Amino acid sequence: MIDGIETPTWDASSLPADDNVNPYAFSIALAGEWFVSKGAMIAYYGNVEFAGVSQYASRASWVAARFSSPLYASEWVVAAGQGKVIVADRGYDVNSYDLDEGNLTIKQTNLLGFQTSLELKQSIVPGFVTLIGTGKFLASSNGPVIFVEPPFRADPDALLGWADCPSPSQHYDHHWMAQSFMAGIQGMFGRESGEERQYDFTGAGTVLMQSSEQLRVDGALMKLVESQTNLLDAQSAGALGHRLVQRSQQQ
Amino acid sequence: MTYEVVNSKVVRVQVSQANPVLARRGAMLGYSGQVAFRPVSGAAQGIGGMVGTMMAGESNKMMVAEGQGSVLYGFRGLYVTVIDLTGDSLVVEADRLLAHDANLQTGVEMVGQGGGRSAVRGAMTGQGLFTTRVSGNGTVSVLSHGGTFPIQLNGETVGVDPQAYVAHTGALQVDLKASVGMRDLIGRGSGEAFQLHVSGHGTVYVQASEEKF
Repeated sequence: MIDGIETPTWDASSLPADDNVNPYAFSIALAGEWFVSKGAMIAYYGNVEFAGVSQYASRASWVAARFSSPLYASEWVVAAGQGKVIVADRGYDVNSYDLDEGNLTIKQTNLLGFQTSLELKQSIVPGFVTLIGTGKFLASSNGPVIFVEPPFRADPDALLGWADCPSPSQHYDHHWMAQSFMAGIQGMFGRESGEERQYDFTGAGTVLMQSSEQLRVDGALMKLVESQTNLLDAQSAGALGHRLVQRSQQQ
Repeated sequence: MTYEVVNSKVVRVQVSQANPVLARRGAMLGYSGQVAFRPVSGAAQGIGGMVGTMMAGESNKMMVAEGQGSVLYGFRGLYVTVIDLTGDSLVVEADRLLAHDANLQTGVEMVGQGGGRSAVRGAMTGQGLFTTRVSGNGTVSVLSHGGTFPIQLNGETVGVDPQAYVAHTGALQVDLKASVGMRDLIGRGSGEAFQLHVSGHGTVYVQASEEKF
């Protein structure tokens, strides 16, 4: 026995069922299937099998209907069986949310898992996914989640997601732009900080915010941007390629 | 109260015509209302005391929020400490300033000013060669890694790890003490060869981490 440890020692039966173990870890009481983000599982008890989404879909045809995003299929697994699965993400706060006949859009890298009664679709906003239906899902945030109501303008890096309101439009701060143009050295004025560009939310609903995070590499994002370049004709695509090569050489 | 602590990492600030707010660039998370943001540069006119801040320069770009509304500020998930100033002054590394009332005076203590000591202090805490003095009546929010705790001093002396030092208010004397022994020279020291000795009457804010940012 180790002395001096005051936190409880968990076992398979004492672990919470569908509840937080602490602010940074969540215990799923698994009886059936859950979609879980690759790498989010930190421990499990019981008879649980983890299979890639596409692999599992070949056995269970309903998966394709629930997970309609081939882009992210390689980033997700299906946990199937009976037991307790504990998920966590970089020491971020983990929260569970219940969706009731609703729809919610969330940053893909912050979504850790969801029940198979929910349906996942890709949002039009790159890097975000939309959950539709009724069920529970888990999401991480840097610090506790802040809920705000539209009208609201959010910094793209700090935006966690939104529920029940129309997709945002982009807002450019004209003060900021004017200053930058006048100075004529736009690049120096922190364009990279993105302060002049915000997501503008209107209508009724809820916006979810977190403290801005350093971006985690979203493997699917590159594929997503690449697929968008199909909109370009050959000449513009070549010009874009040039610019990207220049950028990678500068860094 | 214009500064509302939303959680340990985010602060909500009420901006009004009479009370514009200066903040670190990139620290705005979101806002509601009619608020406009403007980058402030060294040659900028207007808002008092800002020029000094800008002299801190390259590593500490600021922007001003003007208009009417409320703004959420936070930065990369770092912890936020809100400190009210009533006529006294706060000394803080420029990098750590998240947001403060624009009517506060800011001055920069640079290399060679205020003696070599302050320069060394800035260098040792790893936050650059500048320490900023914020003074007046208003509120300042300061970034830290892992949160801060205040240590009240009434004439006694406290030793603080330079990396854990965040800021201080009041009439405090900060000295850098080196106790470099033979073991440090051959790289087998305790890693605590340098300490800040803080003495006088005031409050020193210490973060619960030695991590720089």
